[in-house]
This record gives sequence, C-alpha cells and structure tokens, in this order.
Amino acid sequence: MLEIKPIFHALCRSKVGAILLLIQIAITTAIVSNAAFIIQDRVAFLNQETGYPEQDLFMFNVMTFGKDIDLSQQFELDEAMLRALPGVVNAAQSSSIPLSGSGSASSFNLKPAPQESKSIRSSYIFIDEHGLDTYGVKLIAGRNFTEDEVTITNSPTERTTNVTVVTQALLDELFPEGDGLGKTIYFGDLPLTIIGVADHMKSPWLKDSHPNNVALIPYIQGKTYAQFAVRTKHGQRAAVMKQIETAMLNNYNKRVINNINGLDQLKDEYVAADKLMMRMLIVLITILVLVTALGIFGLTLFNISKRTKQIGTRRALGARKSAIINYFLVENAMICCVGLLLGIIAALLLGQLLMQHFSIAALPPSYIAGTAIMVFVMSLLAVFGPAKRAANISPSIATRTI
Amino acid sequence: MLKMNNISKLYQTEMVQTHALRDFNLHVDEGEFIAVTGPSGSGKTTFLNIAGMLEPFSSGEYLLDGIDVGKLNDNQRADCRNQKIGFIFQGFNLIPDLNLYENIEVPLRYRGIKASERKRRIEQCLEQVGLASRAKHLPQQLSGGQQQRVAIARALAGEPRFLLADEPTGNLDSLMARQVMELLEQINRDGATIIMVTHDPELARRAPRNIQVVDGQLADFTLYQGAQNLKNVAGA
Repeated sequence: MLEIKPIFHALCRSKVGAILLLIQIAITTAIVSNAAFIIQDRVAFLNQETGYPEQDLFMFNVMTFGKDIDLSQQFELDEAMLRALPGVVNAAQSSSIPLSGSGSASSFNLKPAPQESKSIRSSYIFIDEHGLDTYGVKLIAGRNFTEDEVTITNSPTERTTNVTVVTQALLDELFPEGDGLGKTIYFGDLPLTIIGVADHMKSPWLKDSHPNNVALIPYIQGKTYAQFAVRTKHGQRAAVMKQIETAMLNNYNKRVINNINGLDQLKDEYVAADKLMMRMLIVLITILVLVTALGIFGLTLFNISKRTKQIGTRRALGARKSAIINYFLVENAMICCVGLLLGIIAALLLGQLLMQHFSIAALPPSYIAGTAIMVFVMSLLAVFGPAKRAANISPSIATRTI
Repeated sequence: MLKMNNISKLYQTEMVQTHALRDFNLHVDEGEFIAVTGPSGSGKTTFLNIAGMLEPFSSGEYLLDGIDVGKLNDNQRADCRNQKIGFIFQGFNLIPDLNLYENIEVPLRYRGIKASERKRRIEQCLEQVGLASRAKHLPQQLSGGQQQRVAIARALAGEPRFLLADEPTGNLDSLMARQVMELLEQINRDGATIIMVTHDPELARRAPRNIQVVDGQLADFTLYQGAQNLKNVAGA
C-alpha cells in the first residue's frame, strides 16, 4: 500500500530537510549528466582512430652544428642508413610530426592567391616518397610521389614541387562532388596537382578544427633542425630507438640527436591535460554521487531517529514491516522525483551554458536520462538500509515515554 | 475474549534477568471494562504490550478472540493488531505532520479499506468525539484533551472489539480527564471491551472491574460495581 497523499502532505508541512535533499539531487543530476557527457566526449577523443600504428612509430630531432656538409644530401644518406637498420620498416624526414601538437597548417585554395576561391584549412607535411609507408598510411586512390617529384634543396625559396597526396577528408572538403583526384589546388600561389588520396590520418593537432585534413608535399629542405619519423617492425621499436643516436652520429657526428619518442608517447603528452581533466571529472562526479548518497542516507537516519515513536505507533496501529520500508522508499522517491525534475532542467541549462562558452556539443538527452535513472536507483539503495532499520523498531516503543 | 494462561515475560541481559511478568493469568470477557493498576515497575505496561501484541512473551499461552497469539508471525501480529485492537496512548501518539483526518486514516489505510469507506468512518468517529469541524487541523493546534479524543477516534475508526488504553488521562487535567473517561465509558456501553492501565485510583474505581499488578503478577482480582465501590469508600 503506497501512502502517496499523506506522505506528500507530511512533506509539505515539514519541508526543510526535503528541500535541501532535492536541491542536492538536482545539483548532482545537473553536474553528473554534463560531466558524464564531457568524460564520454574525452574518452572518444582519446580513443579516436589516428590512422597510425602508434606503437611501431617513433620520432627524433636532429640539431646539426657541423658546417662541412650539404644538409639535404646528408639527410638522404641518413634516411638510407635508417632504412637499412635491422627492425626498421621505413624512415623519412618529416617537417611535422602527427599528433605531437607541433606542425604547420595553411589554407588550400581552388585558385591561386590572391584570387577569391574556396579555401580549406589543412595541415601539411613536407616529406618524400617514403612518407606514406613510414607513417603506415594506405594510399586508397591515385598514386604516391615518385623519387623524381621530390624537391630536395637547401634553399627555403626553391619550390619546384607541383604534386601532392591529400587525405580523403581534405579531398572531400575541397571537392564534395568526389571528382578531386587529378585536380589542382593552390598552396598560396603554388599549384599542386592531387595525384593520390591517403586513407585516414590525423594532423599534428587532434583538437584542430579540421584534424583529419593532411596534405603530403614532396619537398625536403636541408635545415640545421630536422625531424625524422621511423616505423619499425611490431615489437622492435624499443630496440631500434636504443641504437638510433649512435647510428645517426656514426653517420655524421657534428650534430645532436634528441627527443627520441614513440608516437604514442607524443600523443600522451599532447592529451595529458585532457586526461587530467577527465580524471578530475570522474573524481568530482564520484564524490558528488557519494555525497548525495550519504546525504540521503543521513537524512533518512535522522528522520528515523526523529520519528522513532511515530514508527512504533504506526507498527502498533497495524503497519507491517514492509509498510514502514515502503513509507521511506516512497517518501524518498517523491523527493527524488522533484529533485530530478529540477536537475533535468538545470542539466539542460548547464549544457547550454557549456555549449555557448566552451564549445562543447549539445548535451544528449540520453545522458540526462541515464544520470536521472542512476541517481534514482542510488537514492533508493541509500534509503533502503535505514528504512529496513526503521522497520525493525519495536511497536512497543509506542507505549514508552521517550 | 482474552485469555492469558501462565504468561511470563523475561528481560535478559548478560548480567541480569528480570521477570516483568510471572505466571500471569487473566480472562477477560467480551464487553468488560477493566482498570489495571499497580505501582511503577510492576509490569502494567508489559502486560499491556503483550495484550496488544506489541511485544512477544517468553512463555505461557495467550488467546485473543480464539487466536493463539504465540503462533503468529510478525505480519500476522500486525494484521491482528490492526483488525482487533484499538490503542489509546498516554502521550496520544498522533503524527504531528498529519492532520486529524489523516491521523485517523492511518490504521484504516493499513487495513486496505477503500477511500470512500475510510471517509465515512473517519467522519463518524470525529463526530463521535466532537471534533468533526477540526478534521483539517494539525494535532499541535488542539488542546491535550482534544488530542486524546482524536487518538480515541483513531482507535475507534477500525471498529475494534478491543480497546487498550495506556494511562489515557495521564497527560490531561482533571476536567479533560473526566471528559475522556466519560467517552471511554460510552464506548464500553456501545459494546467495546476496554482494558485501561492507570495510576489514578479515582479513574480505576470508575471501571467495573479492577485488577492490580504487583511484581509481575496479578495481585488482586475483584469485581467492582462502580456504585458499590463508591459506597465502600464512603463507608470506610
């Protein structure tokens, strides 16, 4: 038997505790649903497919101080040496390192600057014909660069390159009709013909507005500071990384080899703040849910101690133990329902605020519903123990003076 | 109607055993009005609790309306209390957050009586105790005497065959006590069996039958007629 009406009237007449509790439930629902969505969003962000065999790739920097070599030719020699190392699948000098948070991006246009035309932002990597294979990315249409198409120079202004391989995402944005292969796009005023389409690969910035737009341009400039990407056979990366400094210095020793890091490590560093935020949010919502559960637990215990005689009287008047348990469950469910209603409204408002100020996607209703169900179940569990204790109050308490 | 044969109640702790009731025997017939007196700690309240199935007894036999109470489980005892017994407590025991109507409704809800029937009975009982116009009032808006009348209405609403009153006038002044006592006498004349625990000898003398509990046992078992009793007192 559910005593909804008298419980409602009793709550209306003694409402301070109930109001505090429903505010707590509303705040918990609003914060937990939004935080859960942000956590899920971050989890999806952290687990997104990058397109790279991250465990098999590593990168390092070369700072050359020797003046007695042709830098562009030296790096050709270095690449050849690296590819010959046992365990190495391929290696290439790469102007930017994907997922590292550091790289280059530009607008790619359908007409040469300064003419007005469609313009799409994309990261770009200057790399030779080994680039795709080094990064473990498949070519899904067209062809790769040939060795002859790669410009190797020590001059920063020499740009004889006229081809590019772009990712499917960039191609689709530039040419939504799907006829982009073979077309010419402009990198500033430099025309580049799209000769190949690369499968999915991420830019240096996972948080970029266009993280899947990458253009590979066959251009190697000899510079004192350069970065190399090396792909090893699976499971052999650590061994190759250990010998890389010695091998490079054996090839030419007037330089410094540093920042030898796996691609997964670079990605971890890049997303460290996101991971921290995610963990803090998890801690926050865990604490919030626990505090709310303890609040409900405590308030029910307080109510029971305050109403000991009343419970005994109810038992004396014929209430079964189950009726006492039901009483507290129904009372809590009623408070919880009002709290959840307010919480759902607050969650939507908070979601809108976050969307406006922090560019977070709209809070899906499923997160609010899921949180509401979780809070409801949690509140029933929190109240069940004290309610059971209340049911065990002896009816004889009704005749005692307490 | 009520038969207690050799009922004992033993409270036991690690250090002490206390016999609250010892070989307690009592037979009550339908329609009786019995006053139970005795010094503090004599076992009156324990007797009342056992009679009302508010606590179990240690040994003996208790038959209420032919039902062997010792064989009932907790739910059956709760149902039996609800259907057969009306309680009137010294402290009224009204639920402060419920108005008079809702307070009287409590035992009726536990019995699963329909709303329309509940309404009829509550209004009738409130009328009987003279508080029909106060149905929406909260207990704390009433005097002590009025609260006790509400508690009596609550006890009557379930139409019990058996009323147990624990010091029903203990918290009332003499005028209100007299009014409550008159109400109980009227209820008894209407057919209910009443057992009333009281400290007040004057009230006890008004009951047709007095029993005295001393050290957990029935010390005296005398049939009084109210008028005769008064004569005896005057004669002494």
